[in-house]
Amino acid sequence: MLKVRQQPFKTAVLALVWGWLLVLVLAPNLLVVGTSVLTRDAGSFIALPVNLDSYRRLLDPLYLDVFLHSLYMASVTTLCCLLIGYPFAWALSRLTKPRQTLLIFLLIVPFWTNSLVRTYALKLLLATNGLINNALIGLGLIDEPLQMLYTEGAVIVGLVYLLLPFMILPLYSVFEDLRRELLMASHDLGAGKLPTFIHVVVPLTLPGVIAGVMLVLLPAMGLFFVADILGGSRNLLVGNVIKNQFLDARDWPFGAAASILLTVAMAVLLLAHKLSERRLGNGESKP
Amino acid sequence: MKKLALAGLVAVTLTGCSGSDEPQVLNLYNWSEYMPQEVLDRFQEETGIQVVYTTYDSNEAMYARLKLLDDSAQYDLAVPSTYYVSKMRQEGLLAEIDRSKIEGFDKLAPDLVNQAFDPDNAYSVPYLWGTTGLAYDSADLDGAEVTAWADLWKDEYQGTVMLTNDMREVFHVGLRVLGYSGNSTNPVEIEAAYNKLTELMPSVRTFNSDAPRMPYLEGETDIGMIWNGEAVMGKEDMPSLEYVYPEEGVIAWLDSFVIPKNAKNVDAAHRFISFVLRPEISALISADIGYATPNLAARELLDESVASDRASYPTEADMVNAEFQTDVGDEAMQVYTKYWEMLKSGR
Repeated sequence: MLKVRQQPFKTAVLALVWGWLLVLVLAPNLLVVGTSVLTRDAGSFIALPVNLDSYRRLLDPLYLDVFLHSLYMASVTTLCCLLIGYPFAWALSRLTKPRQTLLIFLLIVPFWTNSLVRTYALKLLLATNGLINNALIGLGLIDEPLQMLYTEGAVIVGLVYLLLPFMILPLYSVFEDLRRELLMASHDLGAGKLPTFIHVVVPLTLPGVIAGVMLVLLPAMGLFFVADILGGSRNLLVGNVIKNQFLDARDWPFGAAASILLTVAMAVLLLAHKLSERRLGNGESKP
Repeated sequence: MKKLALAGLVAVTLTGCSGSDEPQVLNLYNWSEYMPQEVLDRFQEETGIQVVYTTYDSNEAMYARLKLLDDSAQYDLAVPSTYYVSKMRQEGLLAEIDRSKIEGFDKLAPDLVNQAFDPDNAYSVPYLWGTTGLAYDSADLDGAEVTAWADLWKDEYQGTVMLTNDMREVFHVGLRVLGYSGNSTNPVEIEAAYNKLTELMPSVRTFNSDAPRMPYLEGETDIGMIWNGEAVMGKEDMPSLEYVYPEEGVIAWLDSFVIPKNAKNVDAAHRFISFVLRPEISALISADIGYATPNLAARELLDESVASDRASYPTEADMVNAEFQTDVGDEAMQVYTKYWEMLKSGR
């Protein structure tokens, strides 16, 4: 009885989800793929014939350099997020339930403000006449203001600030599942704190680390407005190049090809994740 | 994001004005900080036409948007620079201006109308003209002799230089320093300008075309490029901000009102142009935002302090070597674009 009554609801939900994915995910992406194989046109943005010139241009050392530098900036961002997020998530999971709820709430509150606005707020902090410099000078720690704005460091600070929650949340969920008995067992069997961490905690939280890295690494390469506002409008990230192709250079096929490069990079990461998961799973089942 | 929100607003207001009794709406698409609010308020008060004001920060962005939204007719008026007027005119994106509906056209400076970019001004009416020159903070660069674009390359300005985030303008500087025309279409010259500009890049702290005065006011940069109106506005907040006409020649431009082909409210667009051409309104705009009005009748109404401000109204000597920007064609634009990408990706 119950099953029959659930069926229409289930169908409706599935239809909604599939419809959503088809219209808002698949169709736009197909448009991007389609655009990327067309030719740039001064009058109407895109034109026939179909070709792979845009992809060939991606191999230009210039763009390869931008991509690699972008990857470097994103990697530093991810590492910073991991170094801050890992202990944070661990500490969070050790608190009492009400406190956890409160802290998670505080973690999410910034999302209520547009990230562009928050980036401008960071600019006020980092500026030469900004709060940090004024405070440091006021305290007599420095005589001359530090140049922090319009540097790569400023961009990384901005990226870490915006993306940190995406690292903490998946880590928090794996730490939540980390059973204390396992740590106690490890101690009982004579392992010290460090060996317990390396052999028990790290492997068990690895899926959270991988999920967090994926949620931070790719977006970090695309957040062009952070590089524009805090980095002085240079091509620091792949996102800047993509934005310039669409808005300034009006080379839509190339912009589309560059964004597909990011999508493919994401797909490769997901695949790597899948593979590593399988291997981890095998490793656990063997003994 | 702000622009997206505004576009949404535009869409909402557009759908809301189909009935004839509804208040009329004029969708004006203009450069950021390029029209005093007072002008919009007074126009609305007088005509009852509500002005929906949306902004852009580059000709390229404006063009892309107008082109994309051409059929949905989101804008009734836009304000491109000369070389985009000719581009858009040739691509058939513009509606002809009905001169019989415009009052005050005859008061425009003769040397600014009937130019090659739009013969007989069939599609455009000049709004403001201005220059892109050198700015420096005389408080931070005490006793500095800043007279030429080439001064930006000096070692002592390392890390304090600001450039506009405008491909044509930045290359104009590079080309002029080498003695070429700022409107060069010669790939060899453009490449040479690129090589020259790469030497400047380590000194460049930021690119800014949102509000080029801000990095100076914020203390981030001490020397660099600026639009003259921004220099005038900036000087009100920071008296030590000086505007200089560089020896190699200042970059000059003229922005004009155009009506997109599919504009919904062509009549209101004409009325707005006439309104702005009134001497007292043109004078108010020039005094408020610091750019020069092409309206000769308005110039007579200007305060002495405004009319004699060399930053807004250059002398003949200031304009020696000055060059107006012209359309360089799509082929040259692609060459510029390639080197611009390389320049901004360099470290």
